[in-house]
Amino acid sequence: MLSNIFRGGIHIPNPYPVKNPKIVKVPPPEKAVLILQQKVGGQAKPCVEVGDKVLTGQVIAGTSSQYCVPIHASISGTISAIDKQPIPHPSGIDAMCITIESDGKDKWVEKEECGADFLSCKPEQIIDKIRSAGIVGMGGAGFPTHIKVSSVKNANTLVVNATECEPGIMCDDSLMQNYPREIIRGTEILLHACSAKKAIIAIEDDKQEAFNSLLMYNHNDKITIQRIPTKYTSGADKLLIKSLLDVEVPAGKHPSDIGVLCHNVGTVKAIHDAVIDGRPLVSRIVTVTGSGVEDPKNYEARLGTSFASVVSQSKPNKQKHKIRMGGMMMGVDVNSDQYSICKITNCIFINNFEPEPQVNECIRCSSCNQVCPINLLPQQLYWSSKSESIDKALEYNLDNCIECGCCSYVCPSNIPLVDYFVFAKAVNKKQINDAERADIARQRFEYREFRIERNMSERAEMMAKKKKALKEKMAKEKQQKDKIADAIQRVSKSKENKDA
Amino acid sequence: MRSNGLSTNQIMRQVVYALALGIGASYYFFGWGVLLQIILGVITAVVAESVFLLLRKQDVKKTISDGSAILTAVLLAVAIPSIAPWWIIVVGVSFAIIFGKQIYGGLGNNPFNPAMLGYAFLLISYPLQMSTWQVDFLSFGQSLELLFNWTNIDAVSGATRLDAVKTGLSLGNSIDNLQVYSSSQAWINAGFLFGGLYLLLRRIIFWQIPASFIAGIAVTAFLISIGNADAYLPAHNHLILGGTMLGAFFIATDPVSASTTPRGRIIYGFLIGVLIVVIRSFGGYPDAVAFAVLLMNITVPLIDYYTQPRIFGK
Repeated sequence: MLSNIFRGGIHIPNPYPVKNPKIVKVPPPEKAVLILQQKVGGQAKPCVEVGDKVLTGQVIAGTSSQYCVPIHASISGTISAIDKQPIPHPSGIDAMCITIESDGKDKWVEKEECGADFLSCKPEQIIDKIRSAGIVGMGGAGFPTHIKVSSVKNANTLVVNATECEPGIMCDDSLMQNYPREIIRGTEILLHACSAKKAIIAIEDDKQEAFNSLLMYNHNDKITIQRIPTKYTSGADKLLIKSLLDVEVPAGKHPSDIGVLCHNVGTVKAIHDAVIDGRPLVSRIVTVTGSGVEDPKNYEARLGTSFASVVSQSKPNKQKHKIRMGGMMMGVDVNSDQYSICKITNCIFINNFEPEPQVNECIRCSSCNQVCPINLLPQQLYWSSKSESIDKALEYNLDNCIECGCCSYVCPSNIPLVDYFVFAKAVNKKQINDAERADIARQRFEYREFRIERNMSERAEMMAKKKKALKEKMAKEKQQKDKIADAIQRVSKSKENKDA
Repeated sequence: MRSNGLSTNQIMRQVVYALALGIGASYYFFGWGVLLQIILGVITAVVAESVFLLLRKQDVKKTISDGSAILTAVLLAVAIPSIAPWWIIVVGVSFAIIFGKQIYGGLGNNPFNPAMLGYAFLLISYPLQMSTWQVDFLSFGQSLELLFNWTNIDAVSGATRLDAVKTGLSLGNSIDNLQVYSSSQAWINAGFLFGGLYLLLRRIIFWQIPASFIAGIAVTAFLISIGNADAYLPAHNHLILGGTMLGAFFIATDPVSASTTPRGRIIYGFLIGVLIVVIRSFGGYPDAVAFAVLLMNITVPLIDYYTQPRIFGK
């Protein structure tokens, strides 16, 4: 067991555990709605039109942008719409989506397999495969995986995050129990792709079965499977690295800056599928849980399947529900079950509707500071965030908050502290943007002034030159005229003399 | 989805319960006086806060039920003489609630400890009533009579031990010739000490402030008595006289007005201890918890800013 575990954090027992590790396969839906905008990176451009026939796994949107991954059809059928649809986001905004009506056949495109021979592939080829399979961080962050793999220089350690980041989510646990061989193989592929010396698969110690099954399939001495104490926020990459390697990633830097690469176990499985089977990312494992369902379970669902069609299999009760995408700590509340599952939907919480607890004033009891894994002073941050004193909040390290929600969870006054910090961060971002924009505007204005002045002075100079030239010309002409006049006079004089 | 720990209201209630031991000791030695003061103080607090909340157009029931006004009243009632006339506690609690707390926007926004602000106000405004202490046990009837008819005070009143020592020393007596031990004071302090230990165990308060508070008193008392031992009260007597333990565990630990960082709390508590001994030994007042706490309240924003803990990765 590890002794260097990070400070703070909280142990939260899983309120609605999924007892059966079996993953229920949800049949391909009648209609799949695929979002073009991913959580990180630009929006993909559709490369199909309404009415086109597509096969499962076919690329339907893509772009040349490095940060953007292609999107694949998750079912076979006909494109029925390319338009704005509501997406699972707390603000309830709409975004561009492609809708596919199923033909019921689920016919796949021809897959391009690499087979077991991935070692003969160059790392660049593997990274390219990861990108073209549309893989993003499956733990919830949604960061494009190929960027992460190719960004690291001189990787020394690959960390596979199998901690299951939040209480309630069980999808990684069941994934490990069902696909241990694929996960070990996926880890080997990543080791090859980033040429790290060793890999650590980190599992929380409450997942004994998952640990055993991985152990059974691991025959690679570069890969260790490490159990860590079950404590919330141990899934945050920097804290996980601290627990495993006893190094702190410096504030403001990424793990890759110290040569550590951290990937979610779901991502690793997806990499295996992409590289070995040539299967793009068209489905994922989703936990459905919460007080509003009788039968919490893990499902494998195609992307674009609606929440409702998955939830209905977990026997939801008849009460009014509060729906949340993601875990109980960091998930986002959404207002409908008609949204579709996307690449980062690791969990759907269906909770019976309960009135919000009464919020009291902050008495600076410091419970929040004690659980903060970053050792921030949320009680001070709250004070300055509330009054929008962003400078003060930054002095108290607002930008280092990982928004894990431990502080909100323990607050005896039920203050939604993290919401204040997210808000303050947004205000800060806006202020920086505004300042930048004002800067650009000022530069533009100054340049314009300079330009006008320059034009004016140039013009004046030119005019002066012209004037001078004209004057000279006129003087010359006058001279000429005078000369001519002189000559005429002379001529006429001599004529007179002759006549005389 | 919140923690299963205590809510803010429960924290306030727990602190009131923890005061019971000290109050019990006071009842044992002096009878009903302290209880009557508490009852009167609590009623005043609820009325004063309700009226002010109505003026501020705030939710009366929600705020009263947070228990902070009641806690302020109990702390002040415990701190003042148990035989003070009824209007002392009424004026003091009203001042504490209105000018100590509500005027800043209520719980959580007050820079000063409200109970100590009320105490300092009373001490400056009514020095006679605030320095006339009960010396013997009184029956319920006697206590009640004194509360409303303060003129019969002389038979049962006297100075506190700290006051007597101060007067004795100022008259040129050596500390050896003065009686410095008071069993009632020692037991009441012990009561508050054990109540405070309960709060520590429940993790409602943290060790830093009480420990550094006591250390501040002990170190300062020791240092100023070096080479001049008969002119100053020894350190151990400082700890068991006056409001020391009440201050260490219940007053200085008020989270709203105290420093909130682990290192800051040590500095804050220690300096309160230093100030208490300095004021008791060289100042004009026999006891000094209130002034020391109020003075240190002013420094809290500065202490907090410069004692931020090291954050992850920095």
